[in-house]
Amino acid sequence: MTERGSLFFIMASPVRLFGTMMPVLVALLLVIIANLPISFTGGLLPAPALALVAIYFWGLNRPRLMPPFAVLAIGLAEDLLSGGPPGLWATGFLAAYILVDRQRKTFTELNGAGTLIAFTGAMLLASGAAYLLASAIYLRFVPLPPLLLESVLTVLLYPLLDRPMNWADRSITRLLRNTG
Amino acid sequence: MAGSGWKWARGRGAKQLPLILCLVIAVATAIAGRAQASIFDRARAALSDWTAPALSGLKAPLTTVQNWIAGFGSVFTVYSENAELKRENTELHKWQQVALSLEDRLRSYQQLLNAVPDEKTHFITARVIGESSRPFVKTMILNAGSTEQVAKGQAVVNERGLLGRIYVSGQTTSWVILLTDLNSRVPVVIEPSHRRAILVGDNTPSPQLELDVGDGPVKSGDRVLTTGDGGLLPPDVPVGLVNGNGDGARVALFASPSSADAVNILDYRVPDLPQAAELLPATSTQQTSSAKPAVPVAVPAPPAPRIAPRAPDTADIPEEQDR
Repeated sequence: MTERGSLFFIMASPVRLFGTMMPVLVALLLVIIANLPISFTGGLLPAPALALVAIYFWGLNRPRLMPPFAVLAIGLAEDLLSGGPPGLWATGFLAAYILVDRQRKTFTELNGAGTLIAFTGAMLLASGAAYLLASAIYLRFVPLPPLLLESVLTVLLYPLLDRPMNWADRSITRLLRNTG
Repeated sequence: MAGSGWKWARGRGAKQLPLILCLVIAVATAIAGRAQASIFDRARAALSDWTAPALSGLKAPLTTVQNWIAGFGSVFTVYSENAELKRENTELHKWQQVALSLEDRLRSYQQLLNAVPDEKTHFITARVIGESSRPFVKTMILNAGSTEQVAKGQAVVNERGLLGRIYVSGQTTSWVILLTDLNSRVPVVIEPSHRRAILVGDNTPSPQLELDVGDGPVKSGDRVLTTGDGGLLPPDVPVGLVNGNGDGARVALFASPSSADAVNILDYRVPDLPQAAELLPATSTQQTSSAKPAVPVAVPAPPAPRIAPRAPDTADIPEEQDR
């Protein structure tokens, strides 16, 4: 099927369209949840970068449903809602996506602690890219501990989000199979 | 991990083009956003205006839960806290008498010198409906915007002291850049040495002092107040206490954003300088209060300047003006 034909096929069925867009919608939902301007810890802990979990998961398992332009849009949404400089997390998420894209074969074969280590690598790469870009923009090295704390929180939350992600992925499979 | 999977150059040619293009767009957005953030700021303001009712609704029960949790912890220390409060109260009564007599004496000196009376600083009381604590930004969202004449650059205080400044003002909401934020630069004066300094936020709870003018000693426990230089912030608003000595000392802030529920936005105007709000379209009502002030804030009245305020220059204008 050609690209044009496949696009028409997706657009023709709203259910299929929903299934196709689900990874991006879930990532955007996680952006909203992470950036709810309410702190449960009184500002003591930074909010985790939850959207990276969705980008990592579907970037690894269904790259067609999580294309680079979607990652860019999710990153810009994160920047917009977090109140920070635009483009920082967009760059960070894309850096992590590049890692996933390059190491898909290796990462797909991992399970358990291996998956967590791979995600930690993606998180550190995203944070590192955002950190370097922020330091370049502000013309000084920005404090590292808050970013490390955010990375640690995100990695700790990954196992909790992995199960709902798998469930959503199975739902996507069912939706696409039933409509196709 | 040097297996066959770890190959960085695969040469997929055109397939990599979208990825590279997206990365270029992201980096370009970051650079362009630093130079001209107004598009993003407008989008943020519109978004917070749109979601303000939901945020207010979410914030109320959460505040109740937070207060309950905080209250539960203090049950075990209530006796010692009560004793401490009684002792502090007695001491404060003594200081109140001293302050009243000094105020009296100051008034009589001002009358003797025929001094220009202090101007009152108008303020708008707003409720905090959101806060964001991210590695690159520390902000609060307030439920007052340009409709209530809130404008970019206005100081935000609570009953303890300065919290930050408005950096984005929507129609019904506004975003505050906190003193701890990476972008915050506030001109301050240190008492009793009268050293001028710039208070630089670095996303840690205690911002840093960059000493600027004067040569008096700076030591732990000195008071830090706003200077009013540049005519953007009112002078003499309490900021915090110096923690450390000399250049690079940090400031323990009086006002904590996490405990701020209702805040005051100071509508400070320097004579002969146009007020920030006047530059915005006049569509609002005067002195609107959207929330009851938790505690009446004693807003320090700015002394009328005898000379025209210095023209703002890049050295003492906080950077967030251009954010």
